[in-house]
Amino acid sequence: MKKAETSLRNSVSSYCYQCVAGPDLLKVDVRDGVAFQVRPNSSAADVHPAGGKVCVKAFGLIQKTNNPNRIQTPMMRTNPRKGRDEDPGFEPVSWDKALTVICDRLEKARADGLNDESGFPRVAASFGGGGTSTQYMGTFPAFLSAWGSVDMSFGSGQGVKCYHSEHLYGELWHRAFTVSPDTPLAEFIISFGANVEASGGVCGVRRHADARDRGIKKVQVEPHLSVTGACSAEWVAIKPKTDPAFMFALIHVLLHEIPRERLDIPFLKRRTSSPYLIAPNGFYLRDPDTKKPLIWDLNTSRTVPFDTPDTDPALEGDLTVSGLEVGPDDVEWAHDGITCQPAFAHLVAHVKPYNPEWAADICDVAVDKIRGTAMQYIDHAHVGETINIDGRTMPFRPVAISLGKTVCNGWGGYECVWARTLMACLIGGLEVPGGTLGTTVRLNRPADNRWSSVVPGPDGFLNYPMNPTKKGEWNETSNSRHAHQMLIPLAANSSWSQALGPTHLAWMMQEKGLDHLPKPTPPDVWFVYRTNPVISFWDTGSVAEAVANFPFTVCFAYTDDETNHMADILLPECTDLEGLQLIRIGGSKYVEQFWEHQGFALRDPASAPMGEARDFTWIATELARRTGLLEKYNNAINRGAAGVRLFGENFDHSLDVEKTHSVEEIWDASCRAANAELTDGAENQGLDYFREHGFRTKPFPKEQWYLYPAMVEQDLRFEMPYQERLLRIGQELGERLHEKGITWWDRQLKEYEAMPHWQDLQGLWNDALEQAYDVKIDDYPFWLLTARSMQYSWGGNVGLQMIHEVADNIAGHGGVMMNPAAAKKLGLSEGDWVEVASPTGTTRGAVILRQGIRPDTLLMIGQFDHWKTPFAKDLKTPSMNALMPMMLELTDATGSGADLVRVKVSKAEAKT
Amino acid sequence: MTRYAIVADLNRCVGCQTCTSACKHANATAPGIQWRKVLDFEVGEFPDVSRAFMPVGCMHCDEPPCMDVCPTTATGKRDDGIVTIDYDKCIGCAYCAVACPYQARYRVDKPAAAYAGKTMRHEAMLEDPGRIGVAQKCTLCIDRIDEGKAMGLVPGLDAAATPACVNSCISGALHMGDLDDPDSNVSKLLKENRHFRMHEDLGTGPGIVYLYDKDIGDHTATEPVPTTADAVGLAAVAPKLQTSWDWRAAANFVFGGAGTGLLAVTMVAGLFAGPPLWLAAFVALALVGVGLFCVWLEIGRPWRFLNVYLNPKTSWMSREAIAAGPLFGFGALFLIWPRLDIGLLAAVSGLFFVYCQGRILRAAKGIPAWRQPGIVALVMATGVTEGAGLFAALAVLVGYDDMVLRTIGLALMVLVGLRALLWQLYRGALGAKGAPTAALAVLDAGYVNLSVRTQAVVLGLVVIGLFSPAVLALAGLAALLSGWGFKYALITRAAFNQGFAINRVPARGAAKSGPGVKPGWATD
Repeated sequence: MKKAETSLRNSVSSYCYQCVAGPDLLKVDVRDGVAFQVRPNSSAADVHPAGGKVCVKAFGLIQKTNNPNRIQTPMMRTNPRKGRDEDPGFEPVSWDKALTVICDRLEKARADGLNDESGFPRVAASFGGGGTSTQYMGTFPAFLSAWGSVDMSFGSGQGVKCYHSEHLYGELWHRAFTVSPDTPLAEFIISFGANVEASGGVCGVRRHADARDRGIKKVQVEPHLSVTGACSAEWVAIKPKTDPAFMFALIHVLLHEIPRERLDIPFLKRRTSSPYLIAPNGFYLRDPDTKKPLIWDLNTSRTVPFDTPDTDPALEGDLTVSGLEVGPDDVEWAHDGITCQPAFAHLVAHVKPYNPEWAADICDVAVDKIRGTAMQYIDHAHVGETINIDGRTMPFRPVAISLGKTVCNGWGGYECVWARTLMACLIGGLEVPGGTLGTTVRLNRPADNRWSSVVPGPDGFLNYPMNPTKKGEWNETSNSRHAHQMLIPLAANSSWSQALGPTHLAWMMQEKGLDHLPKPTPPDVWFVYRTNPVISFWDTGSVAEAVANFPFTVCFAYTDDETNHMADILLPECTDLEGLQLIRIGGSKYVEQFWEHQGFALRDPASAPMGEARDFTWIATELARRTGLLEKYNNAINRGAAGVRLFGENFDHSLDVEKTHSVEEIWDASCRAANAELTDGAENQGLDYFREHGFRTKPFPKEQWYLYPAMVEQDLRFEMPYQERLLRIGQELGERLHEKGITWWDRQLKEYEAMPHWQDLQGLWNDALEQAYDVKIDDYPFWLLTARSMQYSWGGNVGLQMIHEVADNIAGHGGVMMNPAAAKKLGLSEGDWVEVASPTGTTRGAVILRQGIRPDTLLMIGQFDHWKTPFAKDLKTPSMNALMPMMLELTDATGSGADLVRVKVSKAEAKT
Repeated sequence: MTRYAIVADLNRCVGCQTCTSACKHANATAPGIQWRKVLDFEVGEFPDVSRAFMPVGCMHCDEPPCMDVCPTTATGKRDDGIVTIDYDKCIGCAYCAVACPYQARYRVDKPAAAYAGKTMRHEAMLEDPGRIGVAQKCTLCIDRIDEGKAMGLVPGLDAAATPACVNSCISGALHMGDLDDPDSNVSKLLKENRHFRMHEDLGTGPGIVYLYDKDIGDHTATEPVPTTADAVGLAAVAPKLQTSWDWRAAANFVFGGAGTGLLAVTMVAGLFAGPPLWLAAFVALALVGVGLFCVWLEIGRPWRFLNVYLNPKTSWMSREAIAAGPLFGFGALFLIWPRLDIGLLAAVSGLFFVYCQGRILRAAKGIPAWRQPGIVALVMATGVTEGAGLFAALAVLVGYDDMVLRTIGLALMVLVGLRALLWQLYRGALGAKGAPTAALAVLDAGYVNLSVRTQAVVLGLVVIGLFSPAVLALAGLAALLSGWGFKYALITRAAFNQGFAINRVPARGAAKSGPGVKPGWATD
């Protein structure tokens, strides 16, 4: 560290984890107790993938801390009526009073039973920021763990605004809750709407800038020219939601238009299910004795179980074979002397119709562009080459495909994620250097790193904790208000599963229940932190009505907002720069976060709390103490519920479970445990160490960025291309639902295909809207989309003036972006106010003209039609959220929907 | 020597505005003030469209026009290339703001809070009263550079000696270093990349260099930047109407020109038609005085106005102020002691005064409609014409005989014609060289321009006025008002700034770089 840096007075270490692309390690300069400047922590430059740089959102933290609009004392509602037009009549109360009221409610809920008469948890909680709230809520997870049954099904954006299909199928296929190119080595990336330059944080931006610098070719396929499109070598202006057709055509070219040997045949034979024989009913042909899938061994010209050593599996050919086929609910068919083909041959036949000529019309993209993209993909694939990573030789395949929001959620998500993963497999580029990688796991366990989660499952594939669908095992009632265990086998049942269920069903059912599900009930107590679903979810009017009906809502409140307008209690917690917390950093996670180090970082208070704001850990401890859960709570902390396990093989810094510990005692123990963990028990420095150093890391092996070595070590295969397991559970799920009389999920059951077929997604949307709203879809000529913003995404920072000011430098913020030719036809000019209407709602905004958008497409960046949040309510910007219907018809089998709707535009008066 | 500069790699920049935010933090700039910011450009038409991001701010020019025009010497340039502002000297005249072709200068007239009426803790703590009402801009984090160097650190290499924007840049697009050191980080980048500087043709030698392509094999001579009159989608980067000088500044040109013109005509008339008209001289001085009072109202630090005399070496505003001395001195003496020779000295001073006004506009490099060389003669010509017109009206008022009035009318006719001719030359040259489309539209509006076509009405009145004193008075007022209308519009409505331009769209990875754009510009 240079002298000038140390000469600064009161420089405090902290981190920014406001979005999923964090954490950024930073320094906060403080004078006279006032935090006044954020800057990169240059001492992290050597361990952080982006040289210790700090994202623009982090610079908003000074205003966030000192914002005069903050809630500064606990507040209690005095008006029992709730609703947008009701004045809550919040009045300041003491912390003791507020906590007493809350704990009275909690104790009553506990006395009545943790679950209500419908079997749903009486306590619910919603957290925002794509799961990053936990980086700010101190030990609150330990309180929730101590409490027991908590419903997290009321979404704040997950499922409808995330990369949902990628999360679920990604974890199934390659432990990839999120997926990233191996950007530092990639030569060619096709991005379908992925906007990594806006959503990838400092690591994403830096890695891609470095890649551009060395001449990577990126092709951006999306209806508007996003920031990432700007940074790409090519922009392909595809028609909205037709991406699967483009991708199927790419697969067609690879399988039907180039010599087979250009593919990675050894990878397909050894690391995928390509050789598995498919029996007549669509399930694997199995060895009757071991029930293992059979392959055809070209060396011996006979069928053998897939894991037989020294075989040369056939990928194609009509083969006369015998064996056992096992269908749903273990139904068995014995086959003798039938003709079967390997899964790969089925794939070849499956994609035969999907040639570039077919896709061109659907996508409104030139045939040559599609075919050329496929050829570039194979040309850059380096099939057969290897690379040495940390002493280990691995395949080198520097091509990858990225998928963005709206592409990989809602209908079509399955097709896209399948096609992307398959494209990687065809050239042997899945989970190898240069190729397509997962970054983190959230549904599988253990989650400490991806290699740990590589556990053998059935048929030579990775294990996956599916929610059971077999008769007698299926969860008939679920235990969440969106029935994730019942409806979504892929959602699994980890601590993240509820958030990845069909969260809009929870909201929808507050208005009207679904047949044969338990009666929908509101939670007795709802905790809300860092989220504002009344603004951020869909059909925001309905969400507001549902929230208004909740009997008791506790919001950890930063400022007034649209959701806490309906709250009963507001609790001001220490914000980012006021609270104390230790978190894990490093390894690989979320968006382009590939570190060569791992360890811990401290969020050290840089500023005294404003008003009576309290540290979240203090609040959690008080809730535990007052509800009699202190022992369970302390135990949960000791087990690591707050981020660090306090004991290990050669250290034990556990808290005394019977005592009430101060905030500093808890985090001091965490710091000691962290230091012990990093040094195998050799060191155990406490809070002071992290206060001095800010963070501590140890090396993270780079080879663990790639799952391939772990797969080879256990001789496992990626479950590609044929989805026999999904086919089976889909049929089982259908049986279970039908046995219960449920038919409203039948459309979703169709997604459980062994290989996805093309479906007209635009038509699906059009039909659903026409039928639900009795409209002519031609009256709604535009497709309305959104895009991520570097300055805002996940940040919950719309109330910060500085963020608004700098975001305005980037086109598209704050209005309705449209193509000038389309605007001219409607007689619209730059700055004209328009009303944008979908069949379900309207919004208003000013026209922003840009050439970089299709004439049939509109774009709204940021959904900020706030009516309560200070500063934000005066922005007069449009939001598509009010225009988005929550409909079963537009919900896919994973329970997600896509930010996409048909709209019409007309001139309007300016917002007042 | 040392020449600190910023090098921005457009291939790397993603427009994230982290540098913008870091700058706002490091310098505690007021809401809306961005010493550093990143522009968002779009080039082409759907579907062949490119988009690029471009960091801008003070260019710390080799030949900073802001420094030359500064009347107070508040703006200076160090040996290391950094352009500085002495907040204690600056009077806040904002001349530098209109002289800067990069929209890099700001003036904040009162403390501003991000949340209106609610000053935050850090805002109160960091508030700098010294920056109120004066020019401000990027300092290149000069304090960090100086403190860092004092500790033996190298600006551009050591974070503690490097500007906050560069330190914060997450994509690695921004670099800072010494261009005069052939082995420096920035010199190396320039050798390895094709690059351009914005508005190179203006001769300012800007100190932000933009890298756009690593393919230096086919490096060609600097190509002209493609212009487009249509700024659809590019409103944020197209020329905008300057907001630094409003009606108060315009009043100085309106009244100053007419007043000095009137004084000159009055004294010339005195040479041939008896004693100079005392009333005209009084009105002339009053007009100039009103103009100067108005501009005094405009400056941010009015009680420092005497600093205006500090830079006669290069600033035409200082020279204008100096010219005002003998103008008012001899003028006042004439009013007391109305001798023609004294009056002539005042008139000559007045002519120098209005010449300075023309040169003030000519030196404002940030405003294309002002910096056109023909503006000097035109401003002088219209000043004298306005003066002649006003003198004609006064002559009618005081009852000059017909012969004298007819002579005045003939002179007015010549002046109106000359003014129209100079207008045509000015407008023609402006159109030939290129100017903001919006500025040309304002100048071409019938009631603003001074072309032969619109001045034909004035000429017609003058001709009739040769035979009718009343119409001559009317013609004089028409000549006066048309000049005023032109100058008012020139200062307040046609004063579109240079706007921004991107010479080349950067190569993004494997792609080739492409033509850039200068939006909102047209030639005739």
